[in-house]
Amino acid sequence: MTAIAWDETPEVTDRRHRAPLSRLVLAEVRWIFRRPRTLVVLALLAIFPPIIGISIVLAGPGEASGEAPLFVAAATSALSIPLGSFMMLMSLFLPLAVAMAGADAIAGEQSVGALRGWLVAPVSRGRLLAVKVFGVLAVALVAAGLVALTGLTTGLILNGMDGIITLSGTTLGFADGLGRIGLAVAWVTLQLLAVGAVALAISTTTEHPMLVVALVLGGLIVSQVLSVFDSLSWLHPFLLPEGWVAAMPQLMRDPVSLDLLGEGALRAACYVVIGLSLAYARIVTRDG
Amino acid sequence: MARDELARTVPAPATAGAGARPVVARTKGVRKVYRSTIAVDGVDLEVPEGAVVGMLGPNGSGKTTTIRMLLGLVRPTEGEVELFGQPMPESAESTLPHVGALVEGPGFHPFLSGRDNLLRFAAAEPLLPSAKITAAVTNALELVGLTAAADRRYRGYSLGMKQRLGLAAALLVPRKLVVLDEPTNGLDPAGTREVRRIIAELHARGTTVLVSSHLLSEVEATCTHVIVLSKGTVVAQGELSELLEAGNPTLEVVTPDATQAVEALRANRIPARLAPDGILVDLVTTPAPRVIETLVQAGVSVYEARRKRTGLEDLFARLTETQSDDLPTDLHLNDVDHVGVA
Repeated sequence: MTAIAWDETPEVTDRRHRAPLSRLVLAEVRWIFRRPRTLVVLALLAIFPPIIGISIVLAGPGEASGEAPLFVAAATSALSIPLGSFMMLMSLFLPLAVAMAGADAIAGEQSVGALRGWLVAPVSRGRLLAVKVFGVLAVALVAAGLVALTGLTTGLILNGMDGIITLSGTTLGFADGLGRIGLAVAWVTLQLLAVGAVALAISTTTEHPMLVVALVLGGLIVSQVLSVFDSLSWLHPFLLPEGWVAAMPQLMRDPVSLDLLGEGALRAACYVVIGLSLAYARIVTRDG
Repeated sequence: MARDELARTVPAPATAGAGARPVVARTKGVRKVYRSTIAVDGVDLEVPEGAVVGMLGPNGSGKTTTIRMLLGLVRPTEGEVELFGQPMPESAESTLPHVGALVEGPGFHPFLSGRDNLLRFAAAEPLLPSAKITAAVTNALELVGLTAAADRRYRGYSLGMKQRLGLAAALLVPRKLVVLDEPTNGLDPAGTREVRRIIAELHARGTTVLVSSHLLSEVEATCTHVIVLSKGTVVAQGELSELLEAGNPTLEVVTPDATQAVEALRANRIPARLAPDGILVDLVTTPAPRVIETLVQAGVSVYEARRKRTGLEDLFARLTETQSDDLPTDLHLNDVDHVGVA
């Protein structure tokens, strides 16, 4: 125990003081990536593509007996493992990662009483939400980037770097392949940000992070079920996961077909705008 | 005790008028309703600059809600809140950087160490330059005696250590006002003394302190001013010494020779009367030692002598020393008008 060692106490004026936004974002990102369960989820995401790759290799000799059909070649091209991983992980695991981030961002902070620590610092509610959106975006980007990275690495180890065979039968150069992976990461990140925006909106209304995760994943599952019924086709354009499965193979075609990807991106952007508007409306009126 | 009677015994609070000390925090007719529950109803309070103001009241009396409104965490349903003369919560970005607060217990993340938790909040302090963050955190940890445990996870902290970390967060930056909501909760006697020492140091530096408590002893030990809340309304406020001196000071003497004692005192022109266990002596004109001396010289056996609580002191004691559950029936305050409002 020591005495208070403060410098001169500054006088109060009506000047507004704000901590630099970059400092807040840095603190937020540090906090997110030191949370053990975030790291566990990211680690599981990262080992998924190698597991797919190994499974294909192990299953390979049986299927590829005799002359290798094109689809086997395509399924084992360096591009197919990251894109295939995205296809599978988008159904649950990647959205789970961002739903957790969105839940912890506000509901999780509130549940341990840390949210008022920010508010009395003070960080204005609008800036606080902006920082939280950055955090969720960081998780989405890191999650998608990790899957792409380990997926591509696995694909390259298994197939070599020369020539990536597309679903259309043509062969791509390495740079072109990388470009497509980059496009996939950007597109998946946007989709995940849409999920994160919805999670943030729910997060501002509760102090139970589990409730946020349950509602977001529940909503996704319901959307996926609804998208199966043709009688509800009028509803399908409004469902976020619509096209998640169909979009990835588009990147394996030559030339890339952008219709589905563009439509999905627009849909995700709408979800981001609506989700964040609701989150903002709630966070500025909520009792801290 | 009726409201008027009480109001007369309570000196007017310091106002921002000529000659008086400036007011750091003020509420005017503040009311907060949660659904059908009235948490705070018509609270007018003033925190004079440089004072250590104790906010006293049983659990559920509206202390925390009032503090949350002062800090702009909650918008009042009605009324105005001012910090440093600026309206809250609108002026949060110009006022709150100068305010350190520990509200509703410490709020930290269990998976981070105490130091990392503090570093996180230090990053949000507008008046803390980036280059000074690490040093400010180290100083704050040292100030509350957490240096040894700084790098342990918050999860493993005892209740007292958590409370200390909350205090450290409030003291990261030089403050004009420090608001502490039940700061000694969970602290052992040594921890309680440390909190008192820190409050005294803040006071010596000229920092205004607003500290809430449900214990009169706590407030008596540290505060210069007091605000008493009960059921969401202010029942008394002003300087502690004046509030406690209000009413006639009386000495209660326990003695088997009561009649003899009264006669002896009256012979010396000291007003006294009989009481169940002995006598009551009026101390307005005579100091207590003189009374005892007179009694001893008259050969009266004095078993015990104590200063009897005045009306207001008795009120504080009843408000703060009983379990809040027992309060509603035995408190005959002025809040009959609140019964049934909810």
